[in-house]
Amino acid sequence: MSVSNAMAAPSDDAPVVEAPKKARRRRYDAKEVGLAVLFLLPSLAVFSIFFYLPFARLLSWGTYESVRGGSSYNQVGIDQYQEVLGGGEFRAGLWHSLQFVIYTVPAGLILGTLLAVAAHRRLKGIKVFQAIFSSTLASSVAVSSVIFFFLFNPAVGFFEVSWQSDPSWAMFAAALPAIWQNLGLAFVIVLAGLQAVPDEVMEAARLDGYGPLRRLTRITLPLISPVLMFLLVILVIYGFQAFAQIDIITKGGPGGATETLVFKIFKQTQDYGKGAVLSVGLFCVTLVVTFFQFAILDRRVHYGDE
Amino acid sequence: MATSDVNRGAAELAMGQSPARRNAGVAGQYLSLGLLSVLVLGPIGLTVIQALSPPFRYVSAGRPLHPVEVSWQDRTWFTGGPLSVIVRTLIIVALLAWLQKVASGVSWRDKAYLAPSRIVAIVGGTVVVAAAMSSVFQSFFEADGNTALIVAVAMVLVAATQVWGYLSSPKRSPAAAVVMALFTGFGVIAFCIVTMGPTVWTLAWTRYNLGPAMGRSLVMTVCVTVLQVSTATMAAYAFVFLRFPFKRILFALFMATLLLPLEVTLVGNVATIRQLEWTDTMQALVLPFGAAALGTFLIRQGFRGLPPEIRDATRLDGYGHWAFLTKFAVPLTRPVIAAFTVISALSAWNQYLWPRSITESNAFNTLQIQLRLASSSEVANANQAIAAALVAAVPVVLLLIAFQRQIIRGLTAGAVK
Repeated sequence: MSVSNAMAAPSDDAPVVEAPKKARRRRYDAKEVGLAVLFLLPSLAVFSIFFYLPFARLLSWGTYESVRGGSSYNQVGIDQYQEVLGGGEFRAGLWHSLQFVIYTVPAGLILGTLLAVAAHRRLKGIKVFQAIFSSTLASSVAVSSVIFFFLFNPAVGFFEVSWQSDPSWAMFAAALPAIWQNLGLAFVIVLAGLQAVPDEVMEAARLDGYGPLRRLTRITLPLISPVLMFLLVILVIYGFQAFAQIDIITKGGPGGATETLVFKIFKQTQDYGKGAVLSVGLFCVTLVVTFFQFAILDRRVHYGDE
Repeated sequence: MATSDVNRGAAELAMGQSPARRNAGVAGQYLSLGLLSVLVLGPIGLTVIQALSPPFRYVSAGRPLHPVEVSWQDRTWFTGGPLSVIVRTLIIVALLAWLQKVASGVSWRDKAYLAPSRIVAIVGGTVVVAAAMSSVFQSFFEADGNTALIVAVAMVLVAATQVWGYLSSPKRSPAAAVVMALFTGFGVIAFCIVTMGPTVWTLAWTRYNLGPAMGRSLVMTVCVTVLQVSTATMAAYAFVFLRFPFKRILFALFMATLLLPLEVTLVGNVATIRQLEWTDTMQALVLPFGAAALGTFLIRQGFRGLPPEIRDATRLDGYGHWAFLTKFAVPLTRPVIAAFTVISALSAWNQYLWPRSITESNAFNTLQIQLRLASSSEVANANQAIAAALVAAVPVVLLLIAFQRQIIRGLTAGAVK
């Protein structure tokens, strides 16, 4: 889900389809329309049953308050939205999600760029290093979470630290596997960006007497800035959607210190009313992030000739 | 040139430098790459050590050891049933054959690949590994103190079988062939010791029911991937090659689903599944992922990249839409479809939140959820939970090796135009 959410967004600025000429607009071939319906129906069915219908239900459920843990519901109107979205719990969840994003996103950008710059050169055997750097793609969130759960476990860990049970360190402990797991993705994406930079540009810069550091900051990074922006968007979305790391490593604790928005929603799948409001809150956050990303992308980060 | 660049030994590899400086630069680059590799692979390495803690004790003494006995089985290469013997042998044959291929640069199909020197290396090498590992396992089990010596001898023996094969490649110097043979011997024996010696892998496999869980994950992944690829291909075809009303609105409706990730609709979807009484069923795992806006978008881009003349020409030749789709559109956009197929499979396999939310009995856990169960059940048996996590990663590692190009293309689609 999260992959799909991130992938298409930045490049989805193309016109929808070539508009048919005005004169022919009205004439549709019945057979062709029938075939189109047949082809679109499966997707539309899935989208309406599992995307639009639940969202519509959430919007209305948000106006009902559960009584005695979901045994019955009272209609309270818009009040519940105000109460929950303005309340401390939502704000805490948002802050925890934000913490996770702050831990994982800059680390992913910096380490991904570091690995990609290091491995983007002509050397014998460089393919081996590129394979090693992209290898964390092979681990799932659950695998990486279990690995880091036991590496930093206070009782049997390789490093006996109490991060997982310390409220101020727990979120960092939960973010570590995400940082490690994102290495492969960040590396692959930045490397693709570097490989798209023409060799002549770097050669010209070298002949102009630019040192390696100046080449990196003045030429390479500006040229790959759209790719870095793309990566930033993906990592932010991944960060806001993180769940497995918290479910496996801290289970929301200690004392709710790692209950992110998604974790709170997961806990509320019994109480439809409150869960619905929290979901709508997460939707608004997603929306804000998406608009923010489009606003940045619109400012054309790249210095290309387009 | 060389005089103006006074700094940065490691990163600089300008052409005008003296050979000594260039060599130092190359060494520095390898050193930094090696260091970064250690950082990336570090967690896995430490985790393997943790999983194998007895008889590799924890690095410093005095840590709690695992109460469940994890021993080295009293076995040779040939104990453990015919199936494991065959699998074990085939893995070594494939490994040695692959190494010989990489070293020689000769393709599989080339007749020159089957030179006597390579046959000797593959067959002889496998025989030597089988014989040597029997003694190594025995020695580990008896803990008789000779283990290091036996392992070293085994490595040298395996290396000896490989030298001739490496030497017969035209481009290798004798010194390089010997070094490669030694690395091969070291690597193969170390691989066998870690993966085939300790019982922790099989213990974890049976203790946490990884087999059924993996099967369930596999079925889910295949179903989701087939569904997503076929629905996305059909929808993309309709959006590109068919004329029908409300096209723009429908496409916008497709893309708007990207704003409704599973995390947002979770509460509603869980309620739907409960109302349908579909908890703990395969259709509940699969159907919500039956269509993908991303796939529709990517494949639509691929279809739009086809020259319009192809459609016109095939239409004149009497091909209908269905024939055009199956005989031209799909084959011609195969790279795009393949890339989407692989990332679709990858994300289905890694799915965590949804199976976690709609499975109520542990008997219907997918592999990822089973890992959570393993890690939360008994911290004391950490090594087996860790082993379970490493075993669970193996299928994706194989997928990554087999489809590296497609995965990278799929993941970077949209990043680079």
